[in-house]
Amino acid sequence: MSKISRRAFVETTGAGLVVATSVPLTVQGAPSQEPTSPAPRTSITLLVNGTEHRAEVEDRWTLVEVLRDHLGLTGTKIGCDRGECGACTVLLDGKPVYSCSQLAVWADGGTVQTVEGLERNGRLHPLQEAFIEHDGPQCGYCTSGQLMSAKALLDHNPHPTADEVRAAMTGNICRCSNYNRYVASVLAAAGGAA
Amino acid sequence: MIALKTVGHPASRVDALQRVTGRATYTGDLHLPGMLYARVLRSPHPHARVRGINASKALALPGVKAILTRENCDVIWGSGDSKNKRYLFNNPVRFAGDAVAAVAAVDRHVAEEAIRLIDVDYETLPFVLDQEEALKAGAVEIQPGGNLSPNNKGEPKPDGYAHGNIEKGLSEADRVFEDQYRSVHLNNAQLEMRVSIAQWEGEKLTVYASTQGISNCRIEMAHDLKLPLENVRVVCKYMGGGFGNKNQCHDFDLMAAMLAKKAGAPVKLEFTRKEDYVAVHGRWPTKQYYKVGVKRDGTLTAIQFRGYSGMGPYRKSSGDIAGVEMYQCPNVEKVVYPVLTNMAVSANFRGPAYPQGVFGIESLMDHIAYELKMDPIDFHVKNMTRKYHDELPYTSFGLEDCVLRGAEVFEWKKLWHAPGAGDGPLKRGVGMAMGAFGAPVGRSSAVIHVNSKGEYQLHVGVTDVGTAAKTTMALIAAEELGVPLAQVAVVSGDTEVCPYSVGESGSRTTTHTGYAVVQAAKDLKQQIADKGKPEGDEIRTGNATPDPAQPKDSARYAFAAHFAEVEVDVELGQVRVVKYLAAHDSGRIINPLTCTSQVKGGSTMGIGMALHEELLYDPTHGVPLNSGYYGARVMTHLDTPEIGVLFVETEDQFGPFGAKSIGESSIIPSVGAVANAIFNATGKRIKELPITREKLLAVLA
Repeated sequence: MSKISRRAFVETTGAGLVVATSVPLTVQGAPSQEPTSPAPRTSITLLVNGTEHRAEVEDRWTLVEVLRDHLGLTGTKIGCDRGECGACTVLLDGKPVYSCSQLAVWADGGTVQTVEGLERNGRLHPLQEAFIEHDGPQCGYCTSGQLMSAKALLDHNPHPTADEVRAAMTGNICRCSNYNRYVASVLAAAGGAA
Repeated sequence: MIALKTVGHPASRVDALQRVTGRATYTGDLHLPGMLYARVLRSPHPHARVRGINASKALALPGVKAILTRENCDVIWGSGDSKNKRYLFNNPVRFAGDAVAAVAAVDRHVAEEAIRLIDVDYETLPFVLDQEEALKAGAVEIQPGGNLSPNNKGEPKPDGYAHGNIEKGLSEADRVFEDQYRSVHLNNAQLEMRVSIAQWEGEKLTVYASTQGISNCRIEMAHDLKLPLENVRVVCKYMGGGFGNKNQCHDFDLMAAMLAKKAGAPVKLEFTRKEDYVAVHGRWPTKQYYKVGVKRDGTLTAIQFRGYSGMGPYRKSSGDIAGVEMYQCPNVEKVVYPVLTNMAVSANFRGPAYPQGVFGIESLMDHIAYELKMDPIDFHVKNMTRKYHDELPYTSFGLEDCVLRGAEVFEWKKLWHAPGAGDGPLKRGVGMAMGAFGAPVGRSSAVIHVNSKGEYQLHVGVTDVGTAAKTTMALIAAEELGVPLAQVAVVSGDTEVCPYSVGESGSRTTTHTGYAVVQAAKDLKQQIADKGKPEGDEIRTGNATPDPAQPKDSARYAFAAHFAEVEVDVELGQVRVVKYLAAHDSGRIINPLTCTSQVKGGSTMGIGMALHEELLYDPTHGVPLNSGYYGARVMTHLDTPEIGVLFVETEDQFGPFGAKSIGESSIIPSVGAVANAIFNATGKRIKELPITREKLLAVLA
């Protein structure tokens, strides 16, 4: 296969990385315009936090790579990149997934919610308020993932017990080990919503 | 203790909003225009000479911009080894994970491809993983001069201290107990993987690091790269944990800088989780040998201790095994051998020398109390340290209160019973252990500006590794200035705009930098008293760089006692911690909210160390087997009990408002407390960490 530059590819196909809102997208971490590897690419559409993005992605890119490096949504973190820690948890069609373990092409046509989508009209989500009040984040690196797992839980089970919270969030490691605080935060948010 | 207006009241983190909205910018979140991505190639062998490196295929890969090996990069990482020269790329390589080459390319996938295209010709060498084996005659020599890492005077001798007369002490004893304990290598495993971004503008270098100390990182980058200090800027605004393994600067910061220089473009060097587990450092494994003499009434007459710490092939930290110091005893002899091995490097991890040493000494003391038919609480109160090394008074002392008040709140008397009592299969038991950690005062700086609107801006060189240091500094400033917390904004994490701060290591930030904040606030108040409040566009500035010292004939320590109740399934070997209390004397607590979080976290981490965490090695090939969260079994939501926290506040005349240290002491007693609870539940004592199901079933069957 001949080596084809990203720019050439984008220009000839007209299927570049564009945002439906027509705001020029700053492509963070995008390769420079010189020949790189001829990795296969696919055009996909993602609805992220209510905004539609059409993107041409390398088939090897993970969902978290696209969110962080190409859509600039760096609130979602990478803690292991191998499906062990949960720092990259986002909601894909309402379900919590490790976005490091999802290829972006698999998410084509999907609806994604990240930590950046939790606020509504400048108001914090009750979970975010509870995380602040109950000191959920220590270093804060796992916090976005904890929030998204908690949201997935409360969406399905608005009034969980402490054990249900632990079970739902056990795929989210906190090495500061602030687990007590996270559980208390989720229970408080659930109580507040009642 | 006089109540204060701001300090001592629970306060949410000043940057909590950023942390819960994804707006907090961690190092890896940054992107610079034209930035390249870097990956490191590491040795698959525990010990090998590199005969040659062929990088031609990698260099020919489109998108590859720079490759570094020992042939074109001989930078020495100064803080990587305090005894020997440690290069960024070493030959021979001395552990599975030692760096061999680094590649910068247009994106991370190309960099990863390039790494795979580098051919390295290794001549494998014999290796040794066990620290006692490494000291035997005929063991492979890992560094010139042998495998016993020299002491501070450069002599090939172990470290240690002694007082009294150990033989006399042992001969005076009614009973002498001899025992041995072991702990394993485990990784700090902070959530944020290592990442460093380097950018050159002419001769000026900016490093966006993930460091526990921007000031120390800067000093060492300048030293190692032979740059004037003012040519190096280090930025770390948010940091995703380190627990001691992101202190100072690291080889990957230096690699990023050298790659950026060679490529003529900014470089982001990222680690994989697997690399993070083996290529930096974890807690040193130990072998501990004790001989303790005791009178029939429980009075200690002698403590003799010999320990061996496996440091990996480079000596970054002390390798000390601490805990013996927590006991008052007239005759003590302690000897510790820090030994080089071909395992992953060992250095600081929360409470560096203590949790494993406290596991050993507290298990043994618990056993002695049992043999003498004494309640462990009474035994501890009888024998706990009252003076440091039996000699120096403490500036404040809350250890006895931690033990006694902790026991009361925990309901120790009700829960403690004869070891192994009950029919099972679920058996409960309780255990306790003490802890101590230094809280020395020392040099740091702070600057405070105020404008005519009464807005205060506090500049401190802290990075806030998750300890709420920014908030703590703001609370201290608000207290001393007599203004509401909301009026104080904190500028931190950038050497360009922040003065020197001690690194966020050794639990020193509150005592060092917090004290500097007090002094800077006093300076500012004095200026306002002299010149009046600022008006119009005026700004008043207070600053201070105090270098306080407590009296030479005193010691300043934080203390703790932890209490654990476990439930052991004696048929399945399963252990569950069902009740936990951590009692701490950390002087005055500046922020009860975040301080409690730290204690909960440290205690929980210690439970993981007690029960399951270990980096396993294949003894045949000398390579780690389970690097990563899943294999190394860190604590999860489901493992974690509710951790009760009790602060026993003492008045201390040093430090900001009498605050001592907290972060590290919170993990120190927890391993021993859990181990002793398992003994109380089962009547069996496991002397090797972690206390796994396999080990328990082997003795319970």
